[in-house]
Amino acid sequence: MTRSIRLAAVFMMVAALAAGGCAKNKQHPLDESAGNGGAGESGLAEGSSLDRFKRGLGPEEGGVLKDVHFAYDSYQLDATARDVLAANAEWLKDNSRARTEIEGHCDERGTVEYNLALGARRAKAVKDYLVTLGISGERLSTISYGEELPLCREQSESCYARNRRVHFVPPQ
Amino acid sequence: MGGALAAKRGDHGRRRRGARGVVAARRSAVVLGAAVLALAASAHAQVRGTIVGPGSTSYPIAVSPLKSGGDAHDGDRFADVVARDLDLFGLFKVIDPAAYIEDAEHSGATTDSINFDNWKTIGALALVKGTLEHEGDGVVVEARLFDVVERKQLAGKRYRIGDGDLRRIAHRFADEIMLALTGARGPFDSRIAFASRRDGRFKEIWAMSLDGGDLRQVTRERMIALSPSWSPDSRALLFTSYRTGNPSLFEIDLGGGAPRLISAQRGLNLGGRFSPGGRAIAVALESGGQTDVALLDPSGQLIRWVTRDRALDVSPSWSPDGRSLVFCSDRGGGPQIYVVSADGGEPRRVSYQGNYNTSPAWSPTGDRIAYASRLGRRFQVFVVDAKGDDAKQITNTAGDNEDPSWSPDGRYLAFSSTRDGSGAIYVSDVSGTHQKRLTPQGGDDSNPSWSRWLE
Repeated sequence: MTRSIRLAAVFMMVAALAAGGCAKNKQHPLDESAGNGGAGESGLAEGSSLDRFKRGLGPEEGGVLKDVHFAYDSYQLDATARDVLAANAEWLKDNSRARTEIEGHCDERGTVEYNLALGARRAKAVKDYLVTLGISGERLSTISYGEELPLCREQSESCYARNRRVHFVPPQ
Repeated sequence: MGGALAAKRGDHGRRRRGARGVVAARRSAVVLGAAVLALAASAHAQVRGTIVGPGSTSYPIAVSPLKSGGDAHDGDRFADVVARDLDLFGLFKVIDPAAYIEDAEHSGATTDSINFDNWKTIGALALVKGTLEHEGDGVVVEARLFDVVERKQLAGKRYRIGDGDLRRIAHRFADEIMLALTGARGPFDSRIAFASRRDGRFKEIWAMSLDGGDLRQVTRERMIALSPSWSPDSRALLFTSYRTGNPSLFEIDLGGGAPRLISAQRGLNLGGRFSPGGRAIAVALESGGQTDVALLDPSGQLIRWVTRDRALDVSPSWSPDGRSLVFCSDRGGGPQIYVVSADGGEPRRVSYQGNYNTSPAWSPTGDRIAYASRLGRRFQVFVVDAKGDDAKQITNTAGDNEDPSWSPDGRYLAFSSTRDGSGAIYVSDVSGTHQKRLTPQGGDDSNPSWSRWLE
């Protein structure tokens, strides 16, 4: 439990830094209508990459549940990914009421539609693995953003690698 | 008014035109192979063997302003739009108006009142002239195409229009010029929709004319909207939007009004494409990580699954007869292009070069399929025949060239490219010889969809 509290505190600091950073660099000017989204956006998971985008913030990396990364055009979980998911599963077991949304993301290479389907597969592969580790599927939803909400926009292998990820919406 | 002028609007039927015997174009139009377009409309051109295609020179044409009796602005504007259209694909060389000897306001626009020597001197083989007159509330435009050497009229049209339609009429007459000089109607009276971030960080659907004019924002989702595609009557667009958090399929009328929800199954509702007759929508639906191609009725009810398997199946595109679909699937390992009956059944692979082929588009002529293929580290546009033979590379540039979409006449392609930096919309003839950027840099434009001819 103390470990999870410490992790949560670190997460909040990281989140605050990330939010501050984005607001400062003005890459995404704040949307004037932010905050009064209204009924139409009721399906938006709070803190999701899409919710942050709507509010003029960039997507987050990591968090209390760590991101999982993938090879190009792949949804296979390698050893590193499985280790990350084992740790994430432990946290979810320790916080048995927490639910999380699993976001599948892709790098910009490839077409928009194919990448959306690939992102869905990545999210599903992660969900399935967490279920095999004993986490109830009821607590895990999935969504794909394909290449629409990248962490970075440089045309470099390191940037592409960061964007090929599954991200977990901060557990509620 | 010349007897050959077709007063009826929207009369573009090739059969009717041929029956009327206005032009000998169809008889003399020659197509050399798949990629070479011949321009041999006039007897003169035929004798001289003037053939325009890749590697040859363009056909010199003069486009005079309309004789408009004081309304020079509109007369010039008509000529500008026609000239820009004709210039787009490299078939024509529009002679600089500064060289024109004959002044539009002080000369005629009929065979017996044009001094053809004035146009022959500056090198024109063909000439566009016409008149613009205010008549009651409206405007009447008569536009004619002449063979300069033979001194005869090749095509003529009379249009009665409201004030805002002059650009439309110019595009339509450019299509007529293509019909007269190449044997097939041109693609200019159409629009291209695309996704763009040009107005800020949100990704919205936009639409424009081929000359980049009439650019307008279609959606105001203030979120992510993508994958637009036209209804068969070119009056509405399907698109996918994250407006509710879930990527759902919507339809929006270009005439205004709120988007209409078509399909909001949890998961992806992606790449909706109306069947040619408009009775079905092919779409990729994802649930639990599995993406399959399905047919919906126009209200969004499931008609049937076309594919239903573990493979990732996306980006359906209809054959023009509505009987088959081409789509992208990773059923063989990596993404490849497959054709399947719209009733379902076993898909047949049609892409064999490269290990990453996506976003297929079936040509409106039915004989070819365009797609994007990863070549080295970059994506290029390819065209293959519908059986899967004779794959040809259309683009060969830096950056990625993706999401090809066919012109209504099947001779040209629109696609997105990052060759000049951020994504923009480009067009090319199907040989790849003449490629032009239609949208400015910086808009992060993607997913072009070319409409049919406007009605």
